[in-house]
Formats: sequence, C-alpha cells, structure tokens
Amino acid sequence: MRRDLEAKFGPVVILLATFATIFLLLPVIFVVLHSFSPTRYFQWPPTEFTLKWHQDFYTSTMFMEAARNSLVMALIVTPLSLVIGVPASYALVRGTFPGKALIQQVILSPLIIPGVVTGVSLLSLYSAGGLRIGMFGLCLGMLIFALPFAVRAISANLIGIDPRVEEAARSLGAGPLRTFFVVVVPQLKSGVLAASVFIFVEAVDNFSIAVFLSNDQTRVLPVAAYQYIKDFDDPTVAAMATALIVLSVVLVMLLEKLIGFQKSLRL
Amino acid sequence: MERQSNRLAVLLTPALILAIVIVSAYGYFAYSSLFAKGPMGSGFAGTITFENYTRVLASASNRSVLFTTLYASVVMSVLTIAIAVPMAMVIVRAKRQWVANLIMLAIAVTFLSGGVTRAYSWLILLGNKGLFNLALTELGMIERPLKLLYNWLGVGIAIVHYLLPFAVFTLVGAVRNLNPSVEEAARSLGASRSVTFWRVTMPMLLPGLMVTLTLIFSIALASFLFPMLLGGGKVRMIANQIYDRMFVDYDIPYAAATSVVFLVSAFVAIWLMTLLSKQVKRLNER
Repeated sequence: MRRDLEAKFGPVVILLATFATIFLLLPVIFVVLHSFSPTRYFQWPPTEFTLKWHQDFYTSTMFMEAARNSLVMALIVTPLSLVIGVPASYALVRGTFPGKALIQQVILSPLIIPGVVTGVSLLSLYSAGGLRIGMFGLCLGMLIFALPFAVRAISANLIGIDPRVEEAARSLGAGPLRTFFVVVVPQLKSGVLAASVFIFVEAVDNFSIAVFLSNDQTRVLPVAAYQYIKDFDDPTVAAMATALIVLSVVLVMLLEKLIGFQKSLRL
Repeated sequence: MERQSNRLAVLLTPALILAIVIVSAYGYFAYSSLFAKGPMGSGFAGTITFENYTRVLASASNRSVLFTTLYASVVMSVLTIAIAVPMAMVIVRAKRQWVANLIMLAIAVTFLSGGVTRAYSWLILLGNKGLFNLALTELGMIERPLKLLYNWLGVGIAIVHYLLPFAVFTLVGAVRNLNPSVEEAARSLGASRSVTFWRVTMPMLLPGLMVTLTLIFSIALASFLFPMLLGGGKVRMIANQIYDRMFVDYDIPYAAATSVVFLVSAFVAIWLMTLLSKQVKRLNER
C-alpha cells in the first residue's frame, strides 16, 4: 500500500503508454520488415526473405538520381541555413533595434504558414520572375523553409547563455568578431548540432514544398517515392524507407553520443 | 551605438534577404488572387476583381472541405493529446531511466524517419490485405476486410501518428513542471488514482495541454501528403484543394484565393485557441 502511494502513476498509465509506444513504432518496424518480403502485400507468417526490393532501389536510376538530388540539396541547405541562422539569431536575441519583432515573425513565418502555401507562393514568384525550376530554386525554397528551424534552435541556445561572459571578453579587449567566434560560437555547439540533424532530416523529408519546386531533373526522394507509389506500388519504397530509417537511427545515436539526446530535444 | 547597429545589420542581412524573398512570394501570391486566370502559360490578367473570393465562398464543396479540415484537425489533435499524456508522464516520472530512454528513442526514430516513409507504411498496414485486416480475420472477429484506407479513418490514424512526437515533446516540459507533492497529498488524503488524475493532475496540466493542442492543431491543418496518399481522392483537406487548383485546373488566382481564405480561417481558429488557453491559464492561477 505504501509503495503504491509512492508510485507516480498507476498501471493504467503504464498500459496506455505501452500501447502508445507500440502504435508509434508499428509502422516504422513494419516497413523495415516489409522491405524483405517477397510479396507486395503483407504476409504472415513470412515465408521467404528477399533482398530484391533493396536491389531494385539501389539500381533504379530514378531513385538514385532522386537520392543524389536530395543529398546535394540537404548538404547545401543545412550548412547555409546555419551560416545565415547563427548570426541572425545572435542579432535577434542580443540586439535591440526597431522592427525586431516584425523581422523575427517574418523569418519564422514558414513555420506557421502551411508548406503547400509556401510552395505555391514560391513557385508563382519564380515564374513571375522568370526563374526556371531547378536546383537553385529548390535550394532557395528549402533554405527559406529551414531557416526558421535554425533560428529557433540557436535562439533557444543563446537565451540560455550568460551574456556577461561576452561582456567580460569585450572589456578584456577582445574585438566583437573575436568575441563572437571565440566566446559565443563554442557555446552554441549543442544548438548547432541538434539543428543540423533536424534540418538535414527535414530537408530530405520535405514533400509539400519540394513537390512544387522540383521537376523531372531535380526530383527529390519524397517526390520520387510518391510518384512510384502511385504508379507501381511494390516494396521498393519500403527499401527506401529502410534506408531513411537507418539514417535516422544513426543520427539519433550520434546526437546521443555528442550532446545527450534529452538535451538536444529541449532546443 | 552607430557601430553596434552597423554590426547588427551585417549579421542580419543574409536572413533579411531570405525574409524579403518569402514576403514577396506570399505577397505576390495573395495579390494574384485579385485577378482573373490569365491565358495559358501566364499567371493572371485583367483588372482587380473579387470574383475568386466569391467563387471560393460560394462553392459548397469548398466550404465543406474548409469546415472538415478545421473540424477534423481539432478531433485528431485531441485524440493525439489523449495518447501523448500517458507517454509524457512515463517519460518524466518513470523510476527506471531506461524506460524513459526507450520511449524517447522510439519517438525520435519515428519522428526522424519522415512523413513519406510513414504514409507508405500505413498504406500497406491498413490495406484490405494489411496487418490489421489479416489479424482481425484470423481472430475470427470479422468476415470481410474492414475499409481502413481511402477514408477518414485511415487518414486520421496516419495524421495522429504524425502528430504524436510533436505532442509528446511539448508535453514532456509541461509534465516536468508539475509538482508531484500536490498529487501525493491528494493520494495520502485518500483520493483514488483516477480521482487524483482527473481532479488534481489534469487541472494543473491544462495550460500545457492547451499550448500543445494549439501547436499540433496548426500542424494538422497543413496536412497534405497523408490525405493525398491515403485518402484516395475521397478525403480532401484544404491543402489538397489548393494543389488541385494549381496543378489540375492551372488556375493560380483561384488557388491563391483559396489559400488566403484558408489562412484567414486557420489564424482565426488558432487565435481563438490561444485566447482559450490564456483564459485557462488565468483560471488556473486563481
């Protein structure tokens, strides 16, 4: 009885949380299993084991081109959004100037405005400005989409840093640039790491903006997967999903190793 | 002072350029809603007109899609919170750290595995020959497969699953801020677990729940991929409507007017929710 009173939640909560966790993991685990299934439908018990879909995925020109496009785009967008986002966050958190709240709102607006609207708006601006859909337009759109994530994570990180350390560095004679790179940037390590992982994954996964800003030459993975599901519907997409899940497990473990997972979530 | 503001300008300039691009994009798109559809290949033409707005508002199908989007998003968000609360409680309060870590890991991997992956997985899981129908048939609970795809049930399951990680991440903070000694006091005064939960824990958690609800509601409203893939054309949300105006009808001004009406109603709904959560917070503090 005494022990029971001390427990912070009862068996009902444990049961519900268990079900919720199963619900959460079910599609992720299932899609990995399905990628080895010899049939295009679900089968139980599994009769055979095949690597055919994985082979198909890694030898498909369409998927490999899409994977390359996604990778190139994410590798351009992730560092660029941080290079732009870190100084901007610093100005927004530490500075005082007129119009600060408005600028912040505008930078963060793609977080609130649905991706479809952002995608269509950019597409119509591009066509009005005579910009053909291509890698540049795709990266620009993704950069606009990724910047709010960078600014949000870095700002949260900056708010947690004592500004007096910077003041001390300045009063000891360090210039503003030196203070920024020697004092501020090292303290942003966890924010930058968490934001990089998050932005990389979001850029690779984004569908609602990418579907408007990519064409046959710059098709990215989610768009290729969508078209494939509509036209063929076989587990090749499960093989792609497995690759993405493996990537996300690796990234989560990397975050855990480098900064501690719980900490990175708070950003 | 002068030098400080110069420095800030340098720091902000690249971000400002991107901000100008996105504002022009939104602005230009909204502006195009005031014109008629132009000849093939061009965006819009003619003189200023409100015709697109009357078309959006007069069409019964538009109104029903808009209403359904708002209503379904509320229902899905509430369901998500109901599933997320026990998870957040276990994460924060589990005596064994590995239990909390395990759930967090499950959430993180699911979250990072992406939307297309999960949409595809639900497509197979919920199909006529999917896991659920096979299991239920095997158990003798149903004779014919249940229709779980191409209706709101399937789309709803997928969207709730998509929202769940966002909800748990946000709720973990709210649960962490609860003072467990208040609940312990209720328990030691003889209140049962469920009475304590509903009468003590929930009221304390309510402001956090409202913040979470508002966040996931705004994510649910923007759903696009799930209804498109799992709805089979029968389940339409407003984002799908906008997409079709653009790529099926090639009518940019109509797409723009639909987007403006959507955004205005979304902002009103979110504003009402924020108002409500402020009210809840005030009541709570009293």
